[in-house]
Order: sequence, then C-alpha cells, then structure tokens
Amino acid sequence: MDYNMEDTQNSAPDALEASKLNSSAQRNDTQSVTKRLQSELMQLMLAPSPGISAFPDADGNLLSWTATITGPAETPYEGLILKLSFAFPNNYPYSPPTVLFKTPIYHPNVDFSGRICLDILKDKWSAVYNVQSVLLSLQSLLGEPNNASPLNAQAAELWDSNQEEFKRHVLARHKDLDDE
Amino acid sequence: MMSSIPLNAGRRRVFGSVFSPRRSKPGHHRQSSEQAWSAATAFLTIPDRGFALIFELRGTDGNEALKNWNRLTPPSKETGEALSYLAASAQQPQVFKQKDLFDWYGDEMRRHFLTNLRGGLCELLAGSEKEGLLRTIVDCLQLARRIYLAPIVHYMMPFIATSEQGRILTQLQRVFHTVVSYSLPWEQISTLLADELLRDALIILGIDTMLESSDSEDSSQDGMELDGFYSVSYKDWKHASPEARAVMMTGGEMPAVTMARDQLLAFLNGLQLVGLGGDKAQKVFASVMNLMMTEFVRAAYTNQWKRPSAVPQHLRCWVENIFSRLAVQVLAIIQGTSAGSELPAALDVSFGDVGKWQEIATARLGALRTSELFDIIISWPASSGAIEDLRQFTYHPAARAHVTQTFISLINQRLLHPGASTIQILQLYISIIRAFHLLDPKGVLLDRIARPIRRYLRERDDTVRVIVSGLLAEPSATAATESNPLHSTGENLVELATELTRAHQFSLNQTKGELDWNDMTWVPDPIDAAPDYRKSKSADVIDSLVSLFDSKETFVKELQTLLSDRLIQKRENFDQEISVLELLKVRFGDSALQACEVMLRDISDSRRVDAVVRHDQGFNKPPSRISSKRVPRPDIPELHTKILSRFFWPELQDQEFKVPAEILSIQEKYSAGFETLKQSRKLTWRNGLGQVTVELELSDRSFIDEVTTWQATVIYAFQEDGDSGEPVVKTVDELAESLEMAVPLVRSACLFWVSRRILAEIHRDRFRVLETLPTEDEHRAGGDAGSETGDENSVGDAADAAAAADAAAAAAVKETAEAAAMEKMNLHWQFIVGMLTNQGAMPLQRIVMMLKIVVPGGFPFSNEELRDFLAGMVTRGKLEIVSGGNYKLVH
Repeated sequence: MDYNMEDTQNSAPDALEASKLNSSAQRNDTQSVTKRLQSELMQLMLAPSPGISAFPDADGNLLSWTATITGPAETPYEGLILKLSFAFPNNYPYSPPTVLFKTPIYHPNVDFSGRICLDILKDKWSAVYNVQSVLLSLQSLLGEPNNASPLNAQAAELWDSNQEEFKRHVLARHKDLDDE
Repeated sequence: MMSSIPLNAGRRRVFGSVFSPRRSKPGHHRQSSEQAWSAATAFLTIPDRGFALIFELRGTDGNEALKNWNRLTPPSKETGEALSYLAASAQQPQVFKQKDLFDWYGDEMRRHFLTNLRGGLCELLAGSEKEGLLRTIVDCLQLARRIYLAPIVHYMMPFIATSEQGRILTQLQRVFHTVVSYSLPWEQISTLLADELLRDALIILGIDTMLESSDSEDSSQDGMELDGFYSVSYKDWKHASPEARAVMMTGGEMPAVTMARDQLLAFLNGLQLVGLGGDKAQKVFASVMNLMMTEFVRAAYTNQWKRPSAVPQHLRCWVENIFSRLAVQVLAIIQGTSAGSELPAALDVSFGDVGKWQEIATARLGALRTSELFDIIISWPASSGAIEDLRQFTYHPAARAHVTQTFISLINQRLLHPGASTIQILQLYISIIRAFHLLDPKGVLLDRIARPIRRYLRERDDTVRVIVSGLLAEPSATAATESNPLHSTGENLVELATELTRAHQFSLNQTKGELDWNDMTWVPDPIDAAPDYRKSKSADVIDSLVSLFDSKETFVKELQTLLSDRLIQKRENFDQEISVLELLKVRFGDSALQACEVMLRDISDSRRVDAVVRHDQGFNKPPSRISSKRVPRPDIPELHTKILSRFFWPELQDQEFKVPAEILSIQEKYSAGFETLKQSRKLTWRNGLGQVTVELELSDRSFIDEVTTWQATVIYAFQEDGDSGEPVVKTVDELAESLEMAVPLVRSACLFWVSRRILAEIHRDRFRVLETLPTEDEHRAGGDAGSETGDENSVGDAADAAAAADAAAAAAVKETAEAAAMEKMNLHWQFIVGMLTNQGAMPLQRIVMMLKIVVPGGFPFSNEELRDFLAGMVTRGKLEIVSGGNYKLVH
C-alpha cells in the first residue's frame, strides 16, 4: 500500500532512457496507448485492490477514466467515497496522466479545484507506474500527507496542530458526488 | 330553334308551293329566301328517332339507318331548288349573313345529338359491360355522323363550289366533334380507350408472346423454332446472327400482329372520325405506350442475365423498329384536330423522338436491373451480362444513387438479418465486390454499398473465424474433407483460398500510392464519391475482407487459433498452411504473423527434436511412424511428440486425466531426454490433445484404429485386470475416479467404444467388454441387454451408439466451454463492478456498450444473457435496480 515500496521495486529509469523511449513512442499512435490502458484495466479487474477502483468513461476511447478511492481506515477520510478523473496523454505511459479529485476534498496536498501535488504525477513519473500504483499512492497520501510542500497551507497546519479540527474540515468539505 | 321546328314544318307546304326559289325577283328576294329557308330546313331537319335504333343498326352498312332517318329520299324539286338557292347565298357572305344554312344545320346536329343520342351513350358508358364497349360507341357515333352528314354530302355539295366544299364539311365535322367530345364523359372514355389500346399494343409490340407463350395460337416457341424470321423475343435475337437480327424485327410480321395492328388502326380511324381522337386520345396513347415500354422491358429481359449481353442493342432495335412504328402509325391517325387536320398526315415523330424513347427504354432497363440486382448478384458470375446492362444505366449520378439506394435497402431486407449465415453474407459480399467492380471500376458504388455490409459483418462474432478458415481451406475442397474434420462441412469459403493464391500475383506490383506523379492515367475521384472514399486497388477480395477489422490483431488471433487446431493434428505435412502463411505475410508483414510463424516452426522443429530425443533415449525400434503416441503392445509403445512453444500458441482446451502408468514412464523418460537436449526448457504434457493408434485383441477379433488419447485411456483401463476370463465390467464413476477424468468425458469415451462394438452398456453407466461378438442365435435366446435381433439391427445399434458417443463428446466439450464461459462471466462481473463504482448507475444498454468497448476480445454475451446474469446479482443483493432501469451497486 505504500508507494515507496513500488518505487524500490521498479527503480525509475534515468532521464536518457526515458527520452529514448519517448522518441520511439512518438511513432506509435494512440493504438498502443489504448492497448496499454486496456491491459491495465484487465489487470485491475483480475486483481482488484481493496478500496480502489477505476474504469474508463463512456466516451469510448479509453483515454479518460474515472477512479474511486474509499477513504482508508484510521484516517480522517475513513469511509468517504472519493472520485477522481484520469486523463491520459497520447504518449502514455511515457507521460503521466492528469489526475484530479472530483469529489471536494480537504487535504494538504490537494487544492480546492482538486489538483494534486504528488511527485510521481509530475517529475518522478515513470512508465512502470500505472493506474493502480497511482491510486495506491493517492490512497496512502490520504493517511500520510506530505506537509513539506502543501497546496493547502491551512490544511497542512491543521493536520499538524489539530487533528480534530482537521477532520471537521474534511467532513465539512466532503460532498458525495451523486450518481447521475 | 327547337321551338320553331313545328312551325317550320307547318309552313313548308304553303311556302314551298307558292314561291319557288327560282322565281326570285329583286323585290322578292327576301321573301323567296324566306321560302327557300323553310323548305330547306324542313328537309334537313333530323328526325328525332331514339338512340335505341342507332344502337341496333350500328353493325349494318348504314343504309338501313339512313333510310330510317329519312336521309335517302332525294329532295323534291322544290326543295332542291331551295337548297341550291340557299347554298349559293351562303357562299355570298354579305347576303343573309344571319341565316347561314350550314350554321343552322350545325345547330340542328347539336340539338339532335343532345336530345337523342347523348342520354343513350351515357347510359351505355355507365353500364357494367366494358368489353368492346368503346368500339360499340364508336360504331354508333360513326353511324350518327353518317346520318348527320349524308344529306349535306349528297344533296348540298353539288350546289357548292368545289373550293368551298372542304371548308364547309370541315366546319360541320368540327361541330360534330365538339359536341361529341364535350357531351360524353371523357374520363370513362379514356379508361376504355386505354384498355383498347393496351390490348392491341400488347400484341403488336410482341409483349403478349413473351408473357404467356400458351396464350396466343402462335406462341413464342413457334416463332422461335419455326421461322426465326420475325420475333421480338430477346432470346431469339441473341442467338441469331447479325444479318438475321437486322431483319428479325423489320421483316414480315406474324399474322396475329398484322391483324391486331389493322384492327387497332381501323378503330383509331373511327375514333378520330367521330371526334374522340385528337389531343386527349394522344395523351391516353402516350400513357399506354409508357406502360408498354416498362412492360416490354420487364417481359423481355427479366432473368436474361447471361453475358455477353446484347440487351441494350436489342432494346434499341425494338424501340426503333417496333415501338416507334406503332407510335408513328397511331399518331398519324389521331393527330390534334385543331390545326392538324388541315395538313396532310404529317410525320409527327422525328428521329430525335426515337432517340429519346431509346434513352427512356434504357432507363427502364436500368430500373429493371436495379430491382433484380440482388438476385443477379446471387447468381454471379453467371449473371455478368446483367451488370453490363446496368452499366449503360449508371452514367448519371442520380441513377447511380438510385442503384445504390435500392440495393442497400434490398440488402438490408434480404441479407443482413439473423437468418443469413455469415458464410452466405461473406460469399455474397465477395460477389458484390466482383460485380460492382465490373459495374463501376472506380469503386465508388462499391464503396457505398459495402458500408452497411461491412458494418454488419463487424457485428457478427464468427466473421473472423469464417474468413480465416476460408483462407486456410484447401483449394481442392475434397482433399480438405478427409484430413480435416473441422472443415469438412463444405460450408466453407474455399473461394478465399483460391483468391489468396490468385491475388498474390497482383498485390506486389500494385503498391503505388496516391501520390504517384508519373501516373498519367490519373483522374480525380468521381463527384459522387463519399468524402472518405479511398480508391481500392482492385477487386481485391481478401483485402476488403481483412480490412473489415480495425486491427489485424483480431484476425491474426483467429488465425492462430485455427492454425493451432490444424497443426496439432497428425498429418504428414503442413504445406498448405505454410503456403497460406507465406501469402498472408506478403499482406500483413512478417511481424504481425510472427506467432504463427513460430507455431509452424515448432511443428517442423519438433519432428527433428523428436527424432533426436528418441534416438538418445533408445526408443527407436521400428522405422518411426509419425504419431503422437502408441499404446499397448507387448513391447514399449512408441511415443512421438509435438513440442509447442507455449508463449506463442493460443490457449488450448485440454482435458485433464491420468495417463496409464506405462505411458507416464515413457513420458518421464522423454522429458528427461528433452531437458538434456534443450537445457533450461521443460516439457509440460498436454495429454488430451494427442492421437493414439490402438490395437485391441479380443477373443474373437482384433481391432486397430486411431483414436484420441482419452478414448485410448478409457479402453486401457478395461484391459488391466482382463485375465480372469470374465469380461471386465466398469462403471463410469469408477473410471472417472481412477482416471481423474471428468464424468461426461468418460461416458463419451465409453459410448465411443460401444459404437465400435468393443464395449456394451449393460446398465446405465455400466460398461462391459464385448469379448466375443454376439451371434444371432445367442441374441434370440439370451435377449441380451443390447436386444439386438439381427445384423441390420446391430448395425443400427452401432450407429446409434456412435451418435450417442458423438453427442456425449459434444456434451463434454460443451460442459468445459460452459465452465469457461462462467469463468469469463466472473471476469465480466469485475468489469461491471468497476464500471458501476466509477461511472455510477447505468442501464443495461450502456453496460453492454461499455463492456463491448473495454473487454479485450469483445463481449460474447447477448443482452438477454447479461440481463439474466444481472438479475441473478440483484437477487443475491449485490445490485439493485434504481429509477429508470439503472443498475446500481449495493454498498
């Protein structure tokens, strides 16, 4: 459940290799992305992890997904259903997907429009990550925010100073997205 | 005028006797003319005799009628003088302008017609008897016309200058025509006229002989075989020599035709004479001829599809010689009255008109062919002549659009429905490709037609399989049937295999792209091409079929599956597969077919490896025969293998069971030998996939056959304790347990052996070795469980058993397939959960749609199956149905 563990298992490739892969990836069209995403989906379906789930949107090209994280136990988010959107670039997996929280969330590393500050979604991205590992990282981020680089300073402060108040804020901000 | 008649009649005698017109003095001029007038009108007045008389006399030569109407008595001298006087004065326009005798007579005619004849004619028209009615009416009217005009012609004309005679007659005739045409209901007459024209035109244009050869006395057969001289039949024409063709239509007519023609022309003459011709009749005639044209095209050319097609020439010839001839003749008679009658029968039909008619006829032909197009395609290539005909028609964009639209709707109606098998659809699609390539080498029409078909084919699950098996089929289908049970159905697109080898020659030199600047024959895409229309290289059937699918992967995957089925069979060589693969490589490139390549290499390699391993392990005894395994003999059974690289082969459906210990030990030894040969590689045995040559020794006979491994294993189990002398009896359950084999499979194997008369089923699921074949007597006495009573019956029983074995095997296969399907459904359930978790509640349709998109390899279940499955989940409390039939996960 810890993304660090993922990190050690699959060491990030160095920049040179990444760029090589990148250039070769240019030649591949969206088809290889689709294929990759399809196999990721298959993997998610065959070995589902508790508390996380993801599925492509109905637009049919598989490049945008919706994911669901259930708030982990013993965190202020316990039992909350959090929805996220994934938008995959055309050169995925050589570039990270754009991930946003759709459900309003009060969290040190998430701003009020749902943007997430997570290194593996930015400069630390690697092609070995996948939807599942990103979701697992986010799940653990809920319990262990990175207060060193907060997007929401108030939340970061509250997390350190007053957990009770923090939880109150979390619940106040949370709003279940209804199924339409 | 009418009221004055009796008065005139009364005064006639008085004035007539006193004043002779001859005694005309200047002073008495007015008076004498008064006298003459009354004398003449009295003479000319038409007696009011009823219509019934005319009706009765219509058939006669008319003299009787004239007598009846007092038209034959010459005028008395006095009257004659009066007439000549008045006739003379009528020619001097300035005198007695107000009392022109001919005007008066015109009015008299009108009056008489309206009072006496109209009622009767209208009654006739309203009557139910329509047959020949118009002819009757025309006869009556002709008679009336004679009655009206007779006195003028006979007694007045002599007094009139020759130059004036024509004008006066025309004037009177016009009066008659007008009154006739305006007083009779034209609507009814036009229908009658159309019927008349139709009947004769059918004969004259030669349509009747084609419609029903038995109908007329000189049927088309006669015309064809006896004279071959005059005929409009396309069949005759086609077989005739060019010289014969030239005279066939212009030469002497058949008597029936001449008769009909004379009759029709005479009738029309009469019609014109009584004033029913003219513009209105022309209109009727035009509509009839229009109908005739369609009718002729339909009658003459339906189902005449053979090539080379001479239909267009024949049609042109027909229009020119027969159709136009009739038109000219008829139009010459029924010209417009207003201006036409002044001119001597002018030719109303120009050559331009004939050309136009030919064009119309070609269009009709096109319409006919379009409506037949589906059947034409079905009987392709025998029907290519029809496509040539259609080609004449599809110049115009509108015509092309019509062809495609009609054909698409035909296809939707007749082909693209669940009742048609995929093979049929594909076969027809191939024919369509070829036919439309001939029709429109540019491929625009094909492009339009193909879209709905391709869309539909993509929806079919088995399209790929049919195409691939077609490709793999052996061109000589007979060879395929014995060696390959999978393809022995004959329901196979063998055509594809032939096409593949044939098309190969073209494919290489046709790779020039769109931007070939040296292509001097380049032309822009036709204007009616679809925006994303791409010029197809040729009528390349294979390319069209393979490009049905977005990616080659589906195709290659299916190819792998079929190839694997074929490769694991025991065969001497796989040349066919190899050549197909090579040909496909030209199309797809090496990389796409790499897996298949490996599969083929596995097979050829394993033959070599097998030889080496067997040599090393000292298995080689007799010269090796190619077979997977060989079972019991007193000595060690022979074992041959096919070594497959698991990674490159598709999933093989295997049946798990325990092989006999003897085989197992050989397998182990073999494995060891293989592992020393190929280090770091390991053998996994696929026991269910082999073939075994079994040799059975029974007390009265022996049996050798090639069977599957599981069948061999089951019969081997019967052998083991077979020394006791008593036939071995085993139940299915025992066998299933000891062999670790699935029960249906065991039962299937047992039934197979029953069908071979090695085992007998004594009770349900309890089998016994049939050590000696029961003789007839034994059966009669014993009444064995088999209850065979004779050879015939026993043969029947064996057949029954074989059928049962097949059924059981099928059931076994089905069971495994069902289990696999269930497993698959569980996977789909994961997908559904993921979908509903993330995307919220959804209706069934959307779930199916999403599954079709995201599940690799497509979603194999129907909506109904999924609905049942989801309903099961609802009852298990995992789902709920919320508003609008949406399925929602229960948290």
